[in-house]
Amino acid sequence: MEIIAFVNNKGGVGKTTCSKLMAEHLSKTQKMRTLCIDFDPQCNFSHQYLQMEIDPSAPEGLIPPIHPDYDPTDSEDADWDGRSSIAEIFYGHGVVPYPTYVENLDIAPGHAEKLLTAESVRRSEVVEKVHKQLANFLNSPDVRAAYDAVVIDTAPSKGPLTISVIKAATHIIIPSVMEEQPVQGIYGMLQLWMQESLARDKSRPLNLIGILPNMFKQTRLHRDILKSLQENSAISKYILPVKFSQRIVFAEVDAADSTPRSIFDFPELHVAKSEAMEVCSLISERIFA
Amino acid sequence: MSKKKRFGISDALTRGLSETINVVENNLGVYRNIVLPLSRIELDPNNPRKLAIDLSDIREGIRPDDPSYQVKQQELERLKELAHTIKSNGIINPIVVYKLGEYYRVVAGERRCLASILAGKQEIEARTFNEKPKAFELKLIQWVENTAREDLTLDERLDNMKEIMNEYHKRHGEVEMTATLLKNITGLSLSQMTYYLAAINAPYDVREQIQKGTIRNLDKAALLAGVTSDEARQQAIEACIAGSSLKDLRGIINQQKIRKKTKSSLNPSTRGRSPSSINMGSTVKAEVVKTIISCVVSKKEYKHYMDLFAQINWMDLRQTTKAFRTLVELLETEMAV
Repeated sequence: MEIIAFVNNKGGVGKTTCSKLMAEHLSKTQKMRTLCIDFDPQCNFSHQYLQMEIDPSAPEGLIPPIHPDYDPTDSEDADWDGRSSIAEIFYGHGVVPYPTYVENLDIAPGHAEKLLTAESVRRSEVVEKVHKQLANFLNSPDVRAAYDAVVIDTAPSKGPLTISVIKAATHIIIPSVMEEQPVQGIYGMLQLWMQESLARDKSRPLNLIGILPNMFKQTRLHRDILKSLQENSAISKYILPVKFSQRIVFAEVDAADSTPRSIFDFPELHVAKSEAMEVCSLISERIFA
Repeated sequence: MSKKKRFGISDALTRGLSETINVVENNLGVYRNIVLPLSRIELDPNNPRKLAIDLSDIREGIRPDDPSYQVKQQELERLKELAHTIKSNGIINPIVVYKLGEYYRVVAGERRCLASILAGKQEIEARTFNEKPKAFELKLIQWVENTAREDLTLDERLDNMKEIMNEYHKRHGEVEMTATLLKNITGLSLSQMTYYLAAINAPYDVREQIQKGTIRNLDKAALLAGVTSDEARQQAIEACIAGSSLKDLRGIINQQKIRKKTKSSLNPSTRGRSPSSINMGSTVKAEVVKTIISCVVSKKEYKHYMDLFAQINWMDLRQTTKAFRTLVELLETEMAV
């Protein structure tokens, strides 16, 4: 089971869009049993597949809907409120992934309040637990037996949640817009990659698949910044030779009533689909080859 | 019309990104950073640092009938100072260890370990080698860690360097040890290595003073080692012990050379003060300097300096001047050795 995470501490660089495309590529075209994990308290990734609800007690955050398998009359579910998020790993509860409309694709959604709590811990012994918790969960035999791939969307931060993901991942991809501030976010993530790489046993490396230019526009700004990254010999080998262009269709399919709902259901020659195929195939070859 | 704007990422960011990548690529699989319980630490009996105090003295206290009680007590006092800063700030650099059975043997960081125990710490941050480093690498790490410290004497540093040379010979056979080879082994500068070699091969009288601790400066030791006349060297050694600066010493040695030369000279210059050094003249044509340097480094024995001058911009008079000075200094040291 490979654990793929999209990370960048700058927000708005397309982590969720990339995670979604990658997860759908693996489940739809590669027929892999795939688990999506939403580790961002904003829960945008969860909202792609589930009708997330507002929590009356925490008005700013979203909570997962009632699980389709929940049966209040069943005595087995007696201790359960019917909702399950990935944040349960921090509270000692089981995680029950939700099926999605895509075959082979499940999601363990976020839970705004619970994830924010985990993100805000400061006491060192608690922080250490948060750091290890996702890896513990994903290394459990149940999870490993149930899925071939895990795709994790992360919060735009360098806090305990992101570190937890870095510690659990087998592969990371850093999507970035080719602008100064997102590129600084790359630096933050490379630092985490360095710390983690130097702490890991060599039999279990953290593979940096690369930096993925995202929302690319053929403007001087984007071209020049991409060029300056490619011209540095150390950095250039980590710049992926593919990119996602700025396309409104990537946002349009996010609407719940759009048809089709997945880029991969577009006609074969559609420019967005062929771009998504090109990027995702390359990443998946590098991970699974 | 103004020029079209060009965009790029800042130099600082580019440097940060590439440095981070290089750190990972160069160190992956070599060692891991972990937190170790101090109870699993043991010291390396072969570490070139000659610290009298050991783990049991710290854990159980120094026995009053210990023959080195006095020395250990002094060391303990110094460790307590370090322990005090560790208590408030922790250790700044992780120690270096490798796994040996149940325990972790310290490659570098003995004092930090001992002081952490004194500070009441249970764990220590460590860089762990995945395998036991080969004797040669081990010596090298200990040496590099130790050279950066002020409390190691010149004698100890020279001893360590000799150990490294011996280990190298054991592994690669009896090859001639040159400054360039040493530079490649240790990663330190060529001039430093030239000085080390000179000091190691110094005549007996210089070595004696180094061992006594009266000559503590590597540059001075190397300079004294290069004086061939016994009498002249003795004078220079005395001046050194009396506290002459490096510059003064150079002056004294040069004076001696001149005196020797003028004595045998058949036609000494009769007017003005006798010069103490040679004026190399001056030129506005960088090409002249370039020609001199390339002639010198094309000689077989100086070929290894060629890299030093590869990056010089010969259009820049300042760089060219500096290059020429470097050449003169290198030749002086070469001839001194």
